Amino acid sequence: MSEHVLTFYPEGDGNAQSVRVPTGTLVADALQQAGVEINQPCGGQGRCGRCVVQIESGAIRRRSTLRLTPQDIEEGFALACQGVVEGDAVVRVPPQEKISRRLTTDRTAAAVAPPPDYAWAEHQSLKRIPLTLTPPSMENQTDDWARLQTALRRQAALEDIVAPLPVLRKIGDRLRQNDWQVTALVDTGSQPKALLDLLPGYPRPEEPMWGVAVDIGTTTVTVWLVDLVSGQVRAQTAEYNGQIARGEDVISRIIYASKNDGGEELRQRALETINALIETACKRVRLTPEQIVKATVVGNTTMMHLFLGIPPASIRLTPFVPAVNSPPPFTASEVGLKIYPQARVLCLPGVASYVGADITAGALASGLADSEEVCLFMDVGTNGEMVLGNREWMITCACSAGPAFEGAGVVDGMRATRGAIEEVWINTTTYEPTCRVIGGVRPRGLCGSGLISLLAEMFITGILDKAGNLNFSLGSERIREGEHGPEYVVVWGEETAHGRDIVLTRVDIDNLLRAKAAIYAGFSVLAGQVGFDLQQVQRVLIGGSFGQYINVEKAVQIGLLPDLPWERFEFLGNTAVRGAYAALLDRRAEERIRQIAARMTYLELSADNTFYDAFMAAMFLPHTDLTCFPSVAATLNKV
Amino acid sequence: MAVEIPKDSWPGSVKEVTLGATPAEGGTRSRTVTVGGETTLPFMHFEAPPPHPPAIAIEIKSRRPQDWSPLLGELWGAAMNAPAEWARQAEDADADLLVLALDIEDTVDDAVAAVQSVLQASGLPLIVWGPGQAEKDNELLVPVAEATKGERVVLGICEDKNYRTIVAAALANDHLVQARAPMDVNLSKQLNILISDMGLPLDRILMDPTTGALGYGIEYGYSVMERLRLAALQGDAMTQLPMIVTPGYEAWKTKEAKVGEGVPAAWGDWQARAIYWETLTAVALLESGADIVVLRHPESVQNVKQAIANLMTPA
Repeated sequence: MSEHVLTFYPEGDGNAQSVRVPTGTLVADALQQAGVEINQPCGGQGRCGRCVVQIESGAIRRRSTLRLTPQDIEEGFALACQGVVEGDAVVRVPPQEKISRRLTTDRTAAAVAPPPDYAWAEHQSLKRIPLTLTPPSMENQTDDWARLQTALRRQAALEDIVAPLPVLRKIGDRLRQNDWQVTALVDTGSQPKALLDLLPGYPRPEEPMWGVAVDIGTTTVTVWLVDLVSGQVRAQTAEYNGQIARGEDVISRIIYASKNDGGEELRQRALETINALIETACKRVRLTPEQIVKATVVGNTTMMHLFLGIPPASIRLTPFVPAVNSPPPFTASEVGLKIYPQARVLCLPGVASYVGADITAGALASGLADSEEVCLFMDVGTNGEMVLGNREWMITCACSAGPAFEGAGVVDGMRATRGAIEEVWINTTTYEPTCRVIGGVRPRGLCGSGLISLLAEMFITGILDKAGNLNFSLGSERIREGEHGPEYVVVWGEETAHGRDIVLTRVDIDNLLRAKAAIYAGFSVLAGQVGFDLQQVQRVLIGGSFGQYINVEKAVQIGLLPDLPWERFEFLGNTAVRGAYAALLDRRAEERIRQIAARMTYLELSADNTFYDAFMAAMFLPHTDLTCFPSVAATLNKV
Repeated sequence: MAVEIPKDSWPGSVKEVTLGATPAEGGTRSRTVTVGGETTLPFMHFEAPPPHPPAIAIEIKSRRPQDWSPLLGELWGAAMNAPAEWARQAEDADADLLVLALDIEDTVDDAVAAVQSVLQASGLPLIVWGPGQAEKDNELLVPVAEATKGERVVLGICEDKNYRTIVAAALANDHLVQARAPMDVNLSKQLNILISDMGLPLDRILMDPTTGALGYGIEYGYSVMERLRLAALQGDAMTQLPMIVTPGYEAWKTKEAKVGEGVPAAWGDWQARAIYWETLTAVALLESGADIVVLRHPESVQNVKQAIANLMTPA
């Protein structure tokens, strides 16, 4: 057998070294022989892509190209664990952190940028109107308010304006203290138009004007602080909804709300969460919340009812009709938001009891409502809502997934913040995991993407069977009988931030299985209802508070997402808050969302007996019908 | 003009499963029983004659059961104290197969001795059930499987949370398994996948979809079995297994079968009623595709035998 010389540069451009190996040696083995340790979290299965090397020249055959794009191959990248030495060759071994960066590109999230055509003077319903008033005199005794109305009519062609009492109370002083040179803040989007405030002097045109977009999720509340002039998002904050303490899903919240003062308590809890988030966001840009003059709010129908203090009881009773799908505008003081008291609060419209404003906003933000191709838009949260359709038609449904993918309802679950394990690889022979932790610190727990990744790896490596049972016969000390039944130890206590073991229990696994089954069953029923083959879906648009971090391959492996070519998936992050943001900036977006709400067809799953069957079929890894998941079947055959 | 009856032909068929092994096949049974092989819905003779008649198993226990109907106690009498004698009498009562249910009180030695005594007393193929508690099932069934290696005994009852040990024991000792899922098409199929993923060939699995007695949910069980059979015929490999159901256990749990006093006079004779209950439950399940019915009363066995003979005769 002939021998070849493999020359390599460690750390990308380190000193050249070489090693002599026989034909057929794997690059990984050759490097190891030369004393260069390369990371192979998946155990050399060609699954994780962490052992990538760049071939400078020579004969290396790629046994598998999984994890490599055509462009990667063009640029000479190969997996060390799958590269066979067939002649002399020169390779570069990139530094590890560079690999991490490279891999992050496979979970791209669209960044937030203001709409390119946004012109606040034209599109924003709030107007800042500089006014110069003629001071009153003995000859001209017109009252201040009439004088202001006249100035608005003459200088800005605005008629029939009303002023709320708290504004009327301050106009006299404001006018006199500023030599009758003031700027009127007028809401032109309301009927009738309203004077919201009178600002001293003339702010510079680029001087910010503040608004907030709020998404009230069952589990997570998100607030974006936005400069309405530039359209820029200046701060993003998110926190678990304070209502969680009174029930994890909408049904238990509705039940709680119907008892004694439960509804008022839940309203207060939501407000506390939102107000605290607004305050945090304001601190980041050195602002006081009173400077915020506009808010748009989205959320599922139950969250909207609870936020507004409207009894949600009828939502869960047949025929499942909410008190209101499209609430009128309110003022901040009415609803209890601690921002400028007269600020306009726009609650965007929902469709039905279980498809709320978060989805209508998402249908706009995701681009589904403008798409020519048929798209599947899904918002993965505590409820999994989905919309199938395009600009011509839209059908929607909702299923209760539970909070598992938001890191709640799982022993070591957490939100996707610093210290959360966001990705896991497990070695197929040792069953030892390798984790990537947000912030690169000691881990505290697992976030949604980490849970998906962990579940997929445990399944692919055989730690779990297809029903989610742990396989105790593998002989790994990480698989053990814990306090809550069988569990897998992801990180030992000595390596965690809090000193406790981070585990995934059998109960957690069941919660995750139920969550993913509900979501998959949702879109199989939705597609079935309109006779549309899921394989024909051209774009899968994924929103939700965990949406921007999820790994498609892992999500397909556990049967959460349909087995389609990866390039058809787009991760959009929180589409609900994005839609609220669009409506906050642009009155046309607000109008579009109202049209979308009016046009969507709602499918009530509780009235559809195919859902249960689809759900049970999906309560398996990846699915009872493996022919729906050909790529997973292929992976299972390989491992 | 003659009416032509349209015939369905299906892409899939049910696997044949053989229980028991004769000396020539490495066991000690005087005969084997093969079930399954259907290529169309039950008893549709004009489309395809059923390849094998459904089989009847009689259920006996390793210890005298305390919770059985007094009617059964009177009938089997002293035989209930000795599984070997009970097995002999069951064979005389025309059973095709025996089910020996082990007791929670049994030690490993008790269980192995009971199984061996039954194998010596009767030449019928044997199904052995653990007491129905996961840890105890594993403790008893593994030594039983080892002691009966080569007999092609059916070991049960496997469920989704507790199948590994039983399946491993079946794999190592050339036995079969009974796979029970709680009345759901998908759950049955999932359990079959789990078991076959461990390497047990499909022709060594009997599917138990769970059922209810007449008046106690039989229509739900019936519908699940029908849908499982339809899926099998449509080509879904993981549902193409013969079905075993336990109408005896279900029927004798009912108040109608169990209680003779303090019930309305209109209910009629207790014994006749109990036997009808078991018979009708079993026959309905045969119509929905059952390949093996497990019964308790010899008279029900005769009734069901007769029903099978009728069903196996083309119209």
